[in-house]
Amino acid sequence: MMSITDLFPGLRGATYRITSPEDEHYNCIAWAAGATNNWWWPFGDPESTHWPDTLPREETLEAFRALFATLGYGTSAGAELELGYEKIALFADAQVCPLHAARQLPTGRWTSKLGALEDLEHELHELEGTEYGSVVLVMKRPTSS
Amino acid sequence: MAPTPVQQPLNGQHVETVEERFRRLEATWMAEVGHHSSTTKLVNHPAFQEIIGMGRAVVPLMLRDLEVRPRLWVWALPEITGAHPVPVSDRGNIGKMSEAWLCWARQNGYQW
Repeated sequence: MMSITDLFPGLRGATYRITSPEDEHYNCIAWAAGATNNWWWPFGDPESTHWPDTLPREETLEAFRALFATLGYGTSAGAELELGYEKIALFADAQVCPLHAARQLPTGRWTSKLGALEDLEHELHELEGTEYGSVVLVMKRPTSS
Repeated sequence: MAPTPVQQPLNGQHVETVEERFRRLEATWMAEVGHHSSTTKLVNHPAFQEIIGMGRAVVPLMLRDLEVRPRLWVWALPEITGAHPVPVSDRGNIGKMSEAWLCWARQNGYQW
């Protein structure tokens, strides 16, 4: 069986931390959005997944950007920690088809839900590679007080 | 419930039971795409499609899993059974979808 570092070679030698058990209630998009009770994905059978009715059910970067915009996020110039803001990052493949989302923690590190598997604390670019592609968009919103 | 008997070997070779085949395919599916959120990658994976192709024989195995914890088998069950017991308001809520399928199975005489 493949280990997490086989899937994500960027984690080799890194200080990543598994922070939850495997859980099929929610996925990376839900987790980035702060939810743990739904599987958020726009494409496929609409009976299977959660996606806001007002947004296009397309597996495109624009659809995901629109999703996070409804949650108050706007485009950010960079992934560095900014006082007073929280950030999410979208990963996509070479065709810019979204594959993953991560959310920045107050420490500046990032948290990801790995599909149906565990939550992971990591540095942003450690998950880049063949499985999740690259970070293609960072969005931010003011931190709620 | 009595355990499913292991099938008799043919030509000295072990023949997989339905459950063994189901678990092998489940393990392959999770190992290869379990880390993905994309329903496209998860549902279109050959192992998941092969599980669906096993038909109603795997429904009790899925229901047994759903009793332990919510599972993504809720995406396979409509394909296998043709039923759609999940209310529109619960779509995407894997926990409530799992409960709806267990309720439907009890009402339709399934045993697991």
